[in-house]
Amino acid sequence: MSFLAPLFLVASAAIAIPIFVHLIQRERKRVIQFPSLMFVQRIPYQSVRRRRIRHWALLAMRCAALLMIVAAFARPFLKQEAAAAAAIGGTRELVVLLDHSASMGYGDHWDRAKDAARSAIRSLGATDKATLVLFSRNAEESMRATTDKGRLEGAVNGATVDADSTRYGPALKLAESILSRSNARKREAVIISDFQRNGWTGSEDVHFPDGYAVSAVSVATPDANNISVPSVTFARAAFSGQERVTVSAGIANKGNAPVADVPVTLEMEGHQVQTQHVKVGANAAASVTFTQFTLDRPIVKGTVRAGTDPLPADNVFHFTVSPAAPVSVLVIDGGTRPESALYLTKALGISTSPTFETEVMQVSRVSPTNFEKRSVIILNDVPFPPAAANGALQKFVERGGGVLIAAGEHTTWPQGETVLMPGTLGPTVDRTAGRGATLGFLDHSHFVFEIFKAPRSGDFSAAQIYRYRTITQAPAPTPAAGQGRAAAAPPQPADRVLARFDDGAVAAAERKVGQGRVIVWASALDDSYSDLPRKPVYLPLVHQLVKYLAQFEPSRSWQTVGQVVDVASLTKARTNWVIVTPSGKRVTSNGPLELDEQGVYEVRPAGGAVEGTPAQAIAVNIDPAEADLTPMDPAELVAAVTGHAATVAAQSPTETTALDLIDAEKQQAIWWYLLLAGLLLLAAETVVSNRLSQGERFL
Amino acid sequence: MQHSADATVMPGARFVDPKILSRIGNLELLARTVVDGFINGLHRAPYFGASIDFAEHRGYVAGDDIRRVDWRLFARTDRFFVKQYEADTNANFSLILDVSKSMSFGSKGVTKLEYASYLGACLAYLAHKQRDRVGIITFDSEVVNYVPPSAKHFNVLLHTLDRAQAGRRGDLTAPLQNMAEHFKRRSMLVLISDFYEDPSVVLEAVKPLHFLGNDLIVFHVLDPAEIDFGFEDASSFEDLESGEQMPVVPQSLSEEYRKLIRQHTEALAAKFSEHRIDYTLANTAEPLDRLLFSYLSARERLMRVR
Repeated sequence: MSFLAPLFLVASAAIAIPIFVHLIQRERKRVIQFPSLMFVQRIPYQSVRRRRIRHWALLAMRCAALLMIVAAFARPFLKQEAAAAAAIGGTRELVVLLDHSASMGYGDHWDRAKDAARSAIRSLGATDKATLVLFSRNAEESMRATTDKGRLEGAVNGATVDADSTRYGPALKLAESILSRSNARKREAVIISDFQRNGWTGSEDVHFPDGYAVSAVSVATPDANNISVPSVTFARAAFSGQERVTVSAGIANKGNAPVADVPVTLEMEGHQVQTQHVKVGANAAASVTFTQFTLDRPIVKGTVRAGTDPLPADNVFHFTVSPAAPVSVLVIDGGTRPESALYLTKALGISTSPTFETEVMQVSRVSPTNFEKRSVIILNDVPFPPAAANGALQKFVERGGGVLIAAGEHTTWPQGETVLMPGTLGPTVDRTAGRGATLGFLDHSHFVFEIFKAPRSGDFSAAQIYRYRTITQAPAPTPAAGQGRAAAAPPQPADRVLARFDDGAVAAAERKVGQGRVIVWASALDDSYSDLPRKPVYLPLVHQLVKYLAQFEPSRSWQTVGQVVDVASLTKARTNWVIVTPSGKRVTSNGPLELDEQGVYEVRPAGGAVEGTPAQAIAVNIDPAEADLTPMDPAELVAAVTGHAATVAAQSPTETTALDLIDAEKQQAIWWYLLLAGLLLLAAETVVSNRLSQGERFL
Repeated sequence: MQHSADATVMPGARFVDPKILSRIGNLELLARTVVDGFINGLHRAPYFGASIDFAEHRGYVAGDDIRRVDWRLFARTDRFFVKQYEADTNANFSLILDVSKSMSFGSKGVTKLEYASYLGACLAYLAHKQRDRVGIITFDSEVVNYVPPSAKHFNVLLHTLDRAQAGRRGDLTAPLQNMAEHFKRRSMLVLISDFYEDPSVVLEAVKPLHFLGNDLIVFHVLDPAEIDFGFEDASSFEDLESGEQMPVVPQSLSEEYRKLIRQHTEALAAKFSEHRIDYTLANTAEPLDRLLFSYLSARERLMRVR
């Protein structure tokens, strides 16, 4: 048994009051003056004294009542129970959020952060629990709630800076989640970070309930200087059948002081190719263009290094360069008009990313072998090619090929090939009498029209279509559906209308067959049916159509840490791959791969080289945003998540202990029972003493 | 009150409550109120002959006995003056009053000292009416006031009684012995006290007064609270003279106390009686005239016997 306010026990001296009343006070109050005590004194004194306290029980009741009331004010509690409660539920739950994003590699930020984390851990009391959360873009519990300070410090010591970017939202949400599960009375989170402003957008929906304390420890360096290489660009050129690439690197200076003579080095395949020096102004950027080189292998790995500073991670930029892979397009032309494929071929010839390798072939000359190694076949106002019959074209599509049908007056489609046609081709609608038709509806959610979604990014209404073929799509079969529509092709679930004319007629429709796609454009793609080829939107429209049908995925020269790549789609092969990470770890995978290291991932076929499946490389760089070390005010972050000002960091263990005792005393609430018992005793004493005084005429 | 019951027992008597007497500021009037109408006197005349106390001179007028002319004065002044004498007196009457602190106790509105004063005034009045010389001695642990007996000292006696205050501890032996040495003439001595001493001590102290043939009358004044000890609540009792306090639960010792006080008074009565001293217990709750009446009646009876 202990007391929170033991000084109150001094008041237990009040127990003397009833004794005093019994023995002295009341007699002294009534002093009777008597002529002489001669005879009184002759009566044996003992008989008087013995009768001074006549009702011991009454005295005991009074004393007990006083003692109970005094003890109640002293706020007693059972120490053992307090210790037990602390052992069960803990009294303080601390979540240490330690930022280990790439930017923490700046100078001594990481060492100071770990020191702060260790300091927070050491502030824990014997029964306090703490969780160590390491966070960068994501947050993970490095050490679950434990009272073992040694393990916690071990986890801190073992933590390393990773290459990911900074985001405070997930870490704070995790901390809030951990604290909300805790039944500790004091719940605290401490964020140890360099508080990059980029890591907090303000729109994170994180809110700590009242009673949770959030404190911040900033290790940021004011006016930090940092040189980084945020990106590189490639200029490709063909030279005697080979592709030549010119690399330009951007150099950013995030410091407040200009830096001069920054050496920028280009390395290719581990060999230093060229070094240039550049001057970069304060908070400015510059670019360095290196000498052109020839791509003589399927994939070339390169690195740009710029200067030296306290944060070396962002001074390096890795990339891979591959020879451009053109998209092979077969344009099947009717040959009725010499320039019927002119617009198409010109449009496809302009593109560089990707480049289109276009071949125009007369429909009569086409053979099934012409379909091989083609990505897209464009039926440009031609009857159904005989070579495509008997399922040849269908097989091509099912394997992943794309077919664009530009439906003009010569276009026919046999009944037996309706599986490829998203609808039924009807007669030509002639709108030359009026102003012509326009495209009234575009499905901007589709890849083809997605780039025209933004305002002023493509005016299709300016194009006039004079003639077009009707495409009839059968409605979904219902019990009430009549037999009259049986002629229409049965609608397929994958059919999708991409565009409609202003009268509601279908202008473009898509059907997916197997792994491939078929799009029918209801009008010709030359100027015989419309003036669309002479409109600015024609070029991007054709590019989008072909890229979509070819399922073109631009090869990325680098990725950012934290991105996930699908190894299967990257390599276009369904075999297992061995991935060697920049740190040398080997991972076998054929699925998603998270890129969590800075450097170049080597992707090789498992079990040795396989013909047709060359090795790949993935260059991974840190998020350029990590180079911006501009700090935010930690108090701002704390205020945003707690709704009130930042609190001071961890308390000392002794304070914690005192608070624990207060908590234990509150939970046990023994004082309440003591006070009640004391008052009841006083009431009983009143009754008893009244009865006694009725029976006796003195105390 | 006892006296109201006694009043019905003694028809014709007009006993006055001491509390009512206390409202009479004038002791002489009080004595006259109490005494007038009864009594023949305290004593028979102890001497035979006229009084010779000179009172004053006055001019000779025709018809005066020439034997009363003061010739010595005639020789000095050549004028005739006649000597006048006080009325004849028979005896000395001295009131010996205890004014110790214990006499200031009173539970019924009249203190023992007041009661004793009334009693003394009445007796002095009686003596004065008998033309006795009256004097007074007050004492506590020593003699406080001494007024020698004189036919002219009645007013002084009353004044002394009126001024008497109980303030100090009392003692019987020393003052009584001291004053006994001064009684050269046979006197009537009335001692009024509460006698808080052992009866043997009291008797030893009183004995010297009884010498020389003095007629000693003792009044033992006690408050009814001293006799009955009718206290109820446990209290702290303080000795008026010593200031000593002691807790007392009256119910537990009242019986014993009453027994002790009764033994004390009986012992006193017995011892005084042995030495032919009149002893009267005066309860301050008792009407003063009734006390006097009963005392004087008894004394008259005794004198006849004598």
